[in-house]
Amino acid sequence: MTEILTATDTKRRKAAAAAHADPGSRSVERFAYLFVLPALALVVVFRIVPLIWGFGYSFTDYDGMSAPRFVGFDNYIGIASDPVFLDSLVNMLILLATLPIWIGLPLVLAILIHQGVPGGKLYRAVYFFPAVLSSVIVGAIFNVLLRYDGSFNMFLKALGFSAVDWLGNSSTALFSLIAVQLWSTFGMSLLIFLAGLSTVPSDMLEAAKLDGAKLTQTWWYIVIPSIRPIIEFAAVVTTIGMLTAMFGLIYVLTAGGPGTSTILPEFLIWLEQGRMNRPGYASAISMVLFLMMGGLAAIQIRIMSRNASI
Amino acid sequence: MAAVQTREKRILWLISIPMALLALSAVYPVFFAVNAALKTRKGYVLDRFGLTTDPTFANFAQAWNQSRLSEYFTNSVIVTVGAVLVLLVVASMAGFALAILRFRGRKAIFITILVSLMIPVQVVLVPFYRTMIGLNLIDSRPGLIIAYTAFFLPFSVYLMTAFYARLPRELFEAAQIDGASLLKVWWHIMLPMGKPALVTLGILNTLYCWNDVLISLLVLQDQRTLMVGIAALRGEYTTNVPLLAAGICLAAAPIVILYVIFQRQIVNGIAVGAVKG
Repeated sequence: MTEILTATDTKRRKAAAAAHADPGSRSVERFAYLFVLPALALVVVFRIVPLIWGFGYSFTDYDGMSAPRFVGFDNYIGIASDPVFLDSLVNMLILLATLPIWIGLPLVLAILIHQGVPGGKLYRAVYFFPAVLSSVIVGAIFNVLLRYDGSFNMFLKALGFSAVDWLGNSSTALFSLIAVQLWSTFGMSLLIFLAGLSTVPSDMLEAAKLDGAKLTQTWWYIVIPSIRPIIEFAAVVTTIGMLTAMFGLIYVLTAGGPGTSTILPEFLIWLEQGRMNRPGYASAISMVLFLMMGGLAAIQIRIMSRNASI
Repeated sequence: MAAVQTREKRILWLISIPMALLALSAVYPVFFAVNAALKTRKGYVLDRFGLTTDPTFANFAQAWNQSRLSEYFTNSVIVTVGAVLVLLVVASMAGFALAILRFRGRKAIFITILVSLMIPVQVVLVPFYRTMIGLNLIDSRPGLIIAYTAFFLPFSVYLMTAFYARLPRELFEAAQIDGASLLKVWWHIMLPMGKPALVTLGILNTLYCWNDVLISLLVLQDQRTLMVGIAALRGEYTTNVPLLAAGICLAAAPIVILYVIFQRQIVNGIAVGAVKG
């Protein structure tokens, strides 16, 4: 009796295993395609085809109404000598130059929390809190706080400094925009670093302590090297965010102004496509932005596909 | 040794002071908004920063009724709930197929979906907008649901695939042996087993959809979502800060509540997304 059961069981097990493990199994294949189809269709129709289409648009004089006409590299030549576009590139370079702060600040805070600063758990929750607020909300609040008569200037005056028109002055507006975005997102990197730190074996730290290593030495020679891959990952993700995640804040906080002082390429695409009604021209800027992201994206995809290990 | 430890502890206590100030700065803006929303317009002009002495809820009522925030709020709820449900179902289906089933082109499809993660909406702004017009999806809530699904899907598929790939295969094989169809396996085993990942994704996608402004600006024109409504309110009411602050509080409330309840899932979700494996 048991023998028969085992026999049929093994048979069924084998048949079942063949049904899904064998790449030749028609029904499993058909089912699998059906199940990935919605996801695949959505990304192909709304992202991949538009990317190719946009590449095509970037070589036309498309204005949103009349039929697009091929104009070769005119749009690219146009943006290369467009002062607004060049300003947006300069702004972007200034933003990218602040990357060490975007990584260093959360890294130091994460290490401190990991090493048991009193109240660390509370800090973690509070630091992350702004990251859940939308950029519209953050932008609208800071618009009031950073006014000439706002809280921030009142605080500065109390400390003996003079007030500054943070958002109305073209030499401080970009700096303010960057600071607000950093304020609202550093908690995200902090979480990433804390997750990485939790994988560092604690006996390694103990051993270093016993050998008389100072706090800073432990950091430099043990903690940071052991989470280097995560620091690199955070740097890639943060840089991608700098290129593509600032729209909401710009839209509400500064609208690109004063002048062109807070226009970034991603915001300029929006302006050109909508207000200027130059979709062809906007597409050329899109392609430049995409090229700038290309290398970063390749790194991120490599890390992610390795992680998912399918 | 003990001296070193106490010294270290003292340093950590000292470091805690600037960290506490930073924490204050993280909550101050929200405190400011709530405080301002509770003031009358006159009360605000007289004392912008002091604690409200005579709290009023008139601003909330006015923002809700006169500024059409109630209508925008409804739009945001419908679109967010719709998009999150579609996202979870589609991501779980794709994750199941990609992680467990064997079929030709599996890896290529997975890579395609990952690559699309790197195509932000700004890069495809013009053709995406044209596609939406062509499919007659402009200015419709289902259109925005589809747009959100398309743009927030790749990360969800990635996470579900990674999650399912780590489940013990025996679970799936046992069900197969019992003669369950693949559809039943997905519904009765994969979905329940994937609950932790689905909860995380549900919350993260709720945040993304509720907080979005760019995709919503592009797709909805006559109608508005709450965030676009708040952005417009900011432009209209630069001088009536209490009214603006009330709108801000109403728009942020659902997310703040979500954060308080699901803090652990949100925090873990971010960490898993970053350093899985």
